[in-house]
Amino acid sequence: MTITNNTENVVAQAEMVTATIDGFEVSVPKGTLIIRAAETIGIQIPRFCDHPLLAPVGACRQCLVDVEVNGRAFPKPQASCTMPIEPGMVVKTQLSSPVAEKAQRGVMEFLLINHPLDCPVCDKGGECPLQNQAMSTGQGQTRFEGTKRTFPKPINISSQVLLDRERCILCARCTRFSEQIAGDPFISMSERGALQQVAIYEKDPFESYFSGNTIQICPVGALTGASYRFRARPFDLVSTATACEHCAAGCSMRTDVRRSKVLRRLAGDDPAVNEEWNCDKGRWAFTYATAPDRLTTPLIRNEMSGELVPASWPEAIAVAAAGLSKSRAAVLPGGRLTLEEVYTYQKFARVVLGTNDIDFRARPFSAEESAFLASHVVGSTISNADIDSADSVLLISFEAEEESPIIFLRIRKQVMKRALKVGTVAPFLTPGASKLNAMLYHSITEIESFFTNKSLILVGERAAQTPGLLSKVIEIANSSGAKIAWIPRRAGERGAIEAGAIGNLLPLGRPVSNATARVDIAAAWGIASLPSGPGLDTLEILKSAATGQIGALLIGGLDPFDLAEPAIALAALDSAFVVSLELRESEVTKRANVVFPVASVTEKSGTFLNWEGRERGFEQVLKDTTRVSDLRVLTMLAEALAAPLNLRDSVSAKAEFDSLGEWDGERTPAPSEPIVAAPTPSAGEAVLITWRMLLDLGSMQDGEANLAGTARKANVKLAAETASEIGVRDGDLVRVSTEAGSIALPLEITEMPVRVVWLPENSFGSQIRRSLRVTSGALVRIGSEA
Amino acid sequence: MLLKEATSDQMDEIIARYPRSRSAIMPLLHLVQSIEGFVTPQGIELVASKLGLSTAEVSGVATFYTQYKRRPVGEYHVGVCTNTLCAVMGGDAIFAGLKEHLGIGNDERTSDGKVSLEHIECNAACDYAPLIMVNWEFFDNQTVESAKALVDSLRDGEPPAPSRGPDRLPTWKENSAVLAGLNDGHANEGVQAGPASLVGLEIANRQIPEIGEQR
Ligand code: SF4
Ligand code: SF4
Ligand code: FES
Ligand code: FES
Repeated sequence: MTITNNTENVVAQAEMVTATIDGFEVSVPKGTLIIRAAETIGIQIPRFCDHPLLAPVGACRQCLVDVEVNGRAFPKPQASCTMPIEPGMVVKTQLSSPVAEKAQRGVMEFLLINHPLDCPVCDKGGECPLQNQAMSTGQGQTRFEGTKRTFPKPINISSQVLLDRERCILCARCTRFSEQIAGDPFISMSERGALQQVAIYEKDPFESYFSGNTIQICPVGALTGASYRFRARPFDLVSTATACEHCAAGCSMRTDVRRSKVLRRLAGDDPAVNEEWNCDKGRWAFTYATAPDRLTTPLIRNEMSGELVPASWPEAIAVAAAGLSKSRAAVLPGGRLTLEEVYTYQKFARVVLGTNDIDFRARPFSAEESAFLASHVVGSTISNADIDSADSVLLISFEAEEESPIIFLRIRKQVMKRALKVGTVAPFLTPGASKLNAMLYHSITEIESFFTNKSLILVGERAAQTPGLLSKVIEIANSSGAKIAWIPRRAGERGAIEAGAIGNLLPLGRPVSNATARVDIAAAWGIASLPSGPGLDTLEILKSAATGQIGALLIGGLDPFDLAEPAIALAALDSAFVVSLELRESEVTKRANVVFPVASVTEKSGTFLNWEGRERGFEQVLKDTTRVSDLRVLTMLAEALAAPLNLRDSVSAKAEFDSLGEWDGERTPAPSEPIVAAPTPSAGEAVLITWRMLLDLGSMQDGEANLAGTARKANVKLAAETASEIGVRDGDLVRVSTEAGSIALPLEITEMPVRVVWLPENSFGSQIRRSLRVTSGALVRIGSEA
Repeated sequence: MLLKEATSDQMDEIIARYPRSRSAIMPLLHLVQSIEGFVTPQGIELVASKLGLSTAEVSGVATFYTQYKRRPVGEYHVGVCTNTLCAVMGGDAIFAGLKEHLGIGNDERTSDGKVSLEHIECNAACDYAPLIMVNWEFFDNQTVESAKALVDSLRDGEPPAPSRGPDRLPTWKENSAVLAGLNDGHANEGVQAGPASLVGLEIANRQIPEIGEQR
């Protein structure tokens, strides 16, 4: 996978300005702030409010320096974080100006007047800019003899974020982040003078999906996370560079461990992907890996009792191997594996089981999507840089803030910076879309004069639920020259496509149907031939398993209730011989014949490919674990079946994958399906639209109540006309039902098409697939609960 | 909601005066005070929704400025200037005298709801020190006795006319509406620049006659 820089986006050579700082000459692009220019020659000016990704504010005054322009000195020291370098400017920092040095010392003394002596009990102690700079820039003794101002401490500004007001130095980093970056100004500076403080409005807590970043950039311990508070001293932590396993944005992260326990995760610094931010899910949703139902030993179903009983590894491997070899078998690896693991799954399917019946999609999909993935997604090099340089961005079946929050921030940055034009095809304007100033289109067919040849269309995985939509997108792109990028929700899907964990593709985009491609891969794997028939997709596999044509299933990550037809999945699991590789007890393990406990992301190393196809490699965080990765289980199974995979570990799997090379042969043709008209509801009926919220009942958010407390509350949305048709008003309970079941939630009247109903897909009180057993586009009944 | 019904049109009218709607935040908060007497939570929520701001942003502004009250004040809000000049000219004594006379402290209200008391910062009327402001109207050159008489008449429902400005003393709510930018028709009444303010000019005119002639 190569990621090319967008060559059309070459920045014009910036005009340079030359000045001296502490006697050294510096040349920096025009507009560079003094504080940044000093950094380029290794001079560190102390600072608190300054942050390179936030607009300058000059709030803390810690960065004072002496400045002279055109031979005239400013009468007093100036804030170096707000003043750009000018030609011929002479800057003297604390290193060469006693005046600047004294000014900084004075500011520090003022900052410390009301600051409590909390360091020994403060989370920030040991990694605190105030502590550090009080040492470098302050003095050992205070001259303040009065009583410090105190506040009751701490206060919850959300269920996850705590505020110790007396520690706050009023730098406004947190409030600026929330307003400028996240677009969630739920905290602001309140009161005045000595009582000035960061505050929420009582009734509206700090429920921003990005709230954790404020904790990370707070230069003191004023903002702390409820889940980490008092858990560790920074100097006791061992840090590992990791990548987020949740969504396809693929944020860089840092995972901090103390005594073999993950205590926190921070956003990593990666300008090309997540800058210095991440979302709260990525930051806090990691306790699922230590949930009490985590599997610890292999399990085998006892023929007599029907119970799962613990077994040794050799025994479980033998039973699984026997079961997989007895009848036709298929593989469902799921969408959350690393590239190395999913590559191993597909090699297992083709080499060991001799089949192309493998599909990573554990969610609603379509045959049209299979073709689209092969024609437009595999090998695509569209990247975040294309968002930065696009003329306009259209979101289709994609709620960026809910489904890929860091892409949302990236788009929003361009919207704020250069009024990037954004459109969204959705039933209503969500809070996320309105923060992008997006134009709302109810249907892709009503869009006119939006596209140029530098437009970007971001299509979410939900597009597969609307027949003909992906074909229409391709048609629009072909006629306008716009680029298409596909953004799945799960972190492992792009890797699965590149690895060929789908019935129509071999690794790196080689079509299964192409004989040369098959020879290519067979040669690389040192085997005579590869299965040639196109593989079945997830639904076909499950249907065949339910009817007995497929006798065995090898399953990675799968939740029947994520699929369009849970009933078929459950029937398949009940009738086939199921080998399950899982972290925790699940609907699959409950029905499996053999269960292997596998390693979580912290217990293995590997690589995710994010939506761009960019490699997100990560190291093993818990070095002393005895957990076994999916990859190792598969190699053991292969050996037991006398068909070795020759993949020892993730390093050798990655090396083999990389050695295969790009496919330069013919690509699979693009799909061309007609748009199917949506069903027409009569009164008392509506077309259901649904998607997942960022924070919901997803099993990878289990065990983190503080995070769950900040989730957006579930409601049902209807247009005013639809509501009056069924006799309900804003806030009333509305019942949405199908043959399978029903959901009742309070109504939020929303500007949206009539006889369309929206519900969150998997939130508290609204589990669509479990209760209603339908997907978006289905006809449901709606009625007043009263 | 009462507040909403009472002010919605007026809010729209005020918002329309600004190129950016958020600039209307301060007048709108005064408008809320003109109905509610102080900035109520409903007021904050209404202003936020009218201006497309978050409630935290609006409450940040409402809590910053001391002219916005978070508790009910009296029908007549009495501010005694205790900044340096007024203080030495008798402001401190007046403030102490009023506290004692009314039996209330700073930022408190008499039980009949008529009068509340606050020590205020310089109101740029030092030439009439010591100064009292009632609902932001000037009462110049006060003494402890005149101040007591003033608050007594306020409590008796016989408000005297201010030293300068409008012919009659508006109530707190009425003047909040004026601060919101609504015209009460009293704008051109009363003395604008009083004699004490013009002394300097007269001296200047006398000493440098050319300037006076040019004027
Ligand atoms: S809470 Fe932290 S980030 Fe926010 S203003 Fe205070 S010191 Fe700055
Ligand atoms: S945006 Fe996605 S990749 Fe980044 S932290 Fe959040 S869930 Fe993880
Ligand atoms: S860092 Fe410059 S004023 Fe805060
Ligand atoms: S000091 Fe009282 S008005 Fe100026």
